[in-house]
Amino acid sequence: MLVMVENLKTRDVSQRHVDRLRNQCRAELQARTRRNAAFGTVSGTAFRRFIGPALGGAWSLAYLLEVIRRAAAVYGF
Amino acid sequence: MDRDDERSLVARLSAGDIDAFDEVYGAYRPKVFAFLLRMSRSRTVAEDLLDETWLRLVRHTRDLRPDTRIGPWLFTVARNLYWTYRRDSLVEDTYAPELALWPSPAPWPSPFELAAANELERRVERALSTLAPQYREVVLLIAHEGLTPTDAAAVCGITPEALRQRLSRARAALAEKLHDTAAVAALNRGYGT
Repeated sequence: MLVMVENLKTRDVSQRHVDRLRNQCRAELQARTRRNAAFGTVSGTAFRRFIGPALGGAWSLAYLLEVIRRAAAVYGF
Repeated sequence: MDRDDERSLVARLSAGDIDAFDEVYGAYRPKVFAFLLRMSRSRTVAEDLLDETWLRLVRHTRDLRPDTRIGPWLFTVARNLYWTYRRDSLVEDTYAPELALWPSPAPWPSPFELAAANELERRVERALSTLAPQYREVVLLIAHEGLTPTDAAAVCGITPEALRQRLSRARAALAEKLHDTAAVAALNRGYGT
């Protein structure tokens, strides 16, 4: 039973579609590689894992403190 | 492709090697497209999902683990995209006959079926297209794409035991449908003569 399915033809998209998709993927891959090279692999990873979240956290904390300070000022504390 | 070659290919792909991408693209594009075409039963949908599958690969090359199996990874993405498409589509197959927009499966042979080289292939394509998608995907992944039951189970997000049961039911359903189409074909031949 499954042998009949195994022997079915493999289909493919048109050559034009094959080329267009390949070029699109290559361009995307090259753009990503360039971006990563610009950051540097190590610094890019460090930014993603540590520096980015740290900056985001610091900004959020400052924002929160300012909101609390202003709220306290409104209520006369 | 043995495991060492695949590991090396994944490493090159992660590093953004264009040649590695071309190698993977050449090897898996027809397989993934055939899978999507038989799942979606629509060339247009299959082409869109194929594009998205490959774009996801190039966008996630840096996230690939060194031991990633490229084939199962691609089929997992393709399958998930298909099921997302299916969920998102406004008219589900199950409701289509009630709405009388178009029957599912089509009672007439699709261009896809007409292009099949011989009668047996046509019958198998038609029987396969009428299987429930959950059954169709396991049959395609194992019988046509040559995935191991373990890999196919991982692609479908089920246990190997559940896959074995599903495959067994799928085979029975396929056999029944092939029998039905054979009977219909015989009947048509009878009317024809």
